[in-house]
Amino acid sequence: MNIPAWKMGAREALPLLSGYLPVALSFGLVASQAGFSAFEATVLSLLIYAGASQFLFVGMIAGGAPLWLTVAMTLLINARHIVYSASLAPWLSNSRRWPWLMHGLTDQVFALAHYRLPLLDEKDRLGWYSSAALVAWGSWAGGTLLGSLAGERLIMQWPLLVEAMAFALPALFLVLLAPRCTSLRWFTALMASTLSALLLGLYDLANIAIPLAAALGALCFYLLPRTINRKHS
Amino acid sequence: MNEAVWLAAGATTVGTLLIRMLPLFWMQRRRRRRAVTTGPETAMPIWPRVLAPLMIAALLGLSLVPHDVSAAGWGATMMGSIVTLLVWCKMRTLGLPVAAGIAVYALVFLIGS
Repeated sequence: MNIPAWKMGAREALPLLSGYLPVALSFGLVASQAGFSAFEATVLSLLIYAGASQFLFVGMIAGGAPLWLTVAMTLLINARHIVYSASLAPWLSNSRRWPWLMHGLTDQVFALAHYRLPLLDEKDRLGWYSSAALVAWGSWAGGTLLGSLAGERLIMQWPLLVEAMAFALPALFLVLLAPRCTSLRWFTALMASTLSALLLGLYDLANIAIPLAAALGALCFYLLPRTINRKHS
Repeated sequence: MNEAVWLAAGATTVGTLLIRMLPLFWMQRRRRRRAVTTGPETAMPIWPRVLAPLMIAALLGLSLVPHDVSAAGWGATMMGSIVTLLVWCKMRTLGLPVAAGIAVYALVFLIGS
């Protein structure tokens, strides 16, 4: 397989494009209903570039919340990203471009990079990551613009398409996690994390679901005896 | 958006970038120091290696909640997930299992609703 790394990155980010578009459309729609222009909503998507916290930012501004509280709450939601670049560090060179490219390190790009970067040669990583992150960033900003301008019409006209495209994200996460189930210990911890996040999501606690569910999974991982790991790996 | 809201957006942008960027600097510095003193194998702490897949699992759990919380939504999610995993077991690639999962999800959702 001799595909250039940048091409491979762009191709592997296509499920992100499919998953981002419906959410970005919704954000554009919500932002325009909250009084933000299409330009402003798109700039927010380009600059902040963090799904859940952008919804919160726009909602709090529209609701008249104090600006310092809006900024603090938005950053609090994004705090989980602290783990991401630290986890990828072993596969990143000392190139000065890497720190700036971390702007594109969303939840989904992280999941994809965590799977792919260890499998690539060092020389290919920058190209792969740059193009994957660019596809994701572009689809998020483009989806926001589209949502601001014509979101309501699109969602009304093609509800099934919008619904089905959103399934790209769970499907991608499944594919990224499947190779990690190398032992009963890992399988149990991953299931604990997945199911607790699902439950928290069902109870509208999406904002704290990721750190809380990951912590629960980690608890499972460390409580389970290491022997389980040895028997099945 | 007035000037104050632009400032808030700017502060959020810078804060989010720092949250994503600073741990990389910290980890790279730590790895350089540890690689010199104790060898490359202890340079990376264990916690990111454990926590990272678990955070992806949490993302999966959160994304599995269907937009339409109904029997059709749950059925489509379940069937889509099963087909995604089956195709992955067969192909071991990224793109095709995702495409198959989306197609089955749409089909089951269409039949169920």
